[in-house]
Amino acid sequence: MTQRVLIVDDELPARERLRRLLLELGRCDIAAEAATGQEAVRLAGELHPDVVLLDVRMPGMNGLEAARHMALLPAPPAVVFTTAYDAYALEAFEAQAIGYLLKPVRAEKLAAVLQRAARLAGPQLERLAAGDPARAARTHVAARLGEQLRLIPVADIHYFAADQKYTVVRHRGGSDLIEDPLRALEEEFAAQFVRVHRNALVHVAALAAIERDPAGQYQVVIRGLDERLGVSRRLAGELRERFRL
Amino acid sequence: MPDTPPRPASARPGSARPESARTDPQDMALGASHTLNLPDFCAARAVLAVVLIVTLTAVVLTVARQNVALRFWLDLAGTSLFLLWTGMGSAAALCLLRVRLARLPLALASAGALLGVLAVIALVSMGVLWLGSSALLGPRATNLLLPESPGRFLVSNLGIGLIVGGLALRYFYVTGEWRRNVELQARARVHALQARIRPHFLFNSMNTIAALTRSDPARAEEAVEDLADLFRANLNEQRSSITLKEELEVARIYQRIEQLRLGERLRVVWDVTDLPMRALVPGLLMQPLLENAIFHGIEPRPAGGIVTVSGALDGDMIGLTVRNPLPAAADAVHAGNRVALANIRERMELLYPGRSSVEANRLGDEYIVRLRFPYVQDPVRNSAL
Repeated sequence: MTQRVLIVDDELPARERLRRLLLELGRCDIAAEAATGQEAVRLAGELHPDVVLLDVRMPGMNGLEAARHMALLPAPPAVVFTTAYDAYALEAFEAQAIGYLLKPVRAEKLAAVLQRAARLAGPQLERLAAGDPARAARTHVAARLGEQLRLIPVADIHYFAADQKYTVVRHRGGSDLIEDPLRALEEEFAAQFVRVHRNALVHVAALAAIERDPAGQYQVVIRGLDERLGVSRRLAGELRERFRL
Repeated sequence: MPDTPPRPASARPGSARPESARTDPQDMALGASHTLNLPDFCAARAVLAVVLIVTLTAVVLTVARQNVALRFWLDLAGTSLFLLWTGMGSAAALCLLRVRLARLPLALASAGALLGVLAVIALVSMGVLWLGSSALLGPRATNLLLPESPGRFLVSNLGIGLIVGGLALRYFYVTGEWRRNVELQARARVHALQARIRPHFLFNSMNTIAALTRSDPARAEEAVEDLADLFRANLNEQRSSITLKEELEVARIYQRIEQLRLGERLRVVWDVTDLPMRALVPGLLMQPLLENAIFHGIEPRPAGGIVTVSGALDGDMIGLTVRNPLPAAADAVHAGNRVALANIRERMELLYPGRSSVEANRLGDEYIVRLRFPYVQDPVRNSAL
């Protein structure tokens, strides 16, 4: 059975070489090539490849983040990471039993890894990210839209609000539902978002003012939107002081 | 033996402090150059040394004087008693003044220390004269042990104090400088090892070459040659300084290799035509800066960017500037960057003590590194160029 492979690397020579090696192996179709993490996630959703060869170190969205988003797809591809040199990543891949290839990639290693390439479970990838010494927050969050994923740049998000089982992401392009719990988001994006209420996290740049409604309830005004979110009494003073509202 | 300096705490990724040349603890250590380096006279070891030196001086003085009226031992006893008082008094004075002297520039601090010692000598001499004029010691002792002419006694004591004190200060200064140089050299060597070309670069280059061997064998060949030259330059530790022309060539070779990998994302603008190419510079000066600029400024940016290398001769000083854009989410200066800068700073300080500077600043969305050092021509290869 031929496997359909998506090649992801920001460097052209690296992609070229993988493509040639795959063609010489003969058992694969190359579904597509991508130069960025975002493109990779989009193509994985559209083309349903069997395997993604994913470079770890890429500008913008790195390989690790792209893999986390891909794990949300209804039929996620198997992922094999490629890296030139990354002491931490190799240790973590070994620990989590995640397939990886060292660049320059050897043909026989590529053949072997393709045979046992496995889908990665979300929790496995999250453990991988949690152990990352760089502790990089994701650049995007992903919302499921049927078969596809919508990637929302974190910089475009006004706020997150808990909504029963899901979390509402209010962003420049509208709103979407994601599955990440608010607690995890608060921890991951602690540098950019601040909790205003038990059920809402607001982007620091979107905090415009704090007001009181006629009933005396505190509210935060979201910059650029004609929307207000309730602020708990306990947090109102703290926010006022910290952001001079 | 200096230990490897610990990474400054502010080098942690995530601590959003721009690398500023004058706040780094490593800079402070280097900035403390050319000051008076006195031993700690408050410590028992130094006091013991003072006692020993003073006793030996007393022996030398007594032997040289050959005082006929007094017998050797009596003369020695009197001289060492006097010198012990001056020695311990000076140690106490320097112990008290130490902190203040350390803050002064070299000339002032030396003068201050000398004045302190002379004041102690004057006090002790006056004490001796006072003892002599009082009847405490009895008439016999007055005759033999105590000076006949008070004026001469005071002046000669001060003269000896000035000469011995001056020599001692000179000695402390030279040993201090020597220790500092040894330390700098050892640290520069450690940093040179740390600042070696990143393994990441090596493996990525190998990967690029593996890709090119089939698609473009001629370029692959060039890349292998470039890589060989680059590593040769990196391993060449013996030559502490090379000409600017050679150094820029190494940096250009580095650029060519990175260019293969990064393609259009990397653009480097060279504005160095005004520089004197025969100037002597420490080896591996530009290449680590270019490497940093690419690693931190270009690679993390999906669209890449422009690195500008510019230089100018300003009087007898050479100024070199490397600027790169900052990645969108750049609020941390990487530890690797600091190691490279500290290394360059130390090597320049060794080559041009007190006359060079390395500054790194964030300016808007740019990161700028500025080097300044004296223009020294290569005497040997002058004619060849």
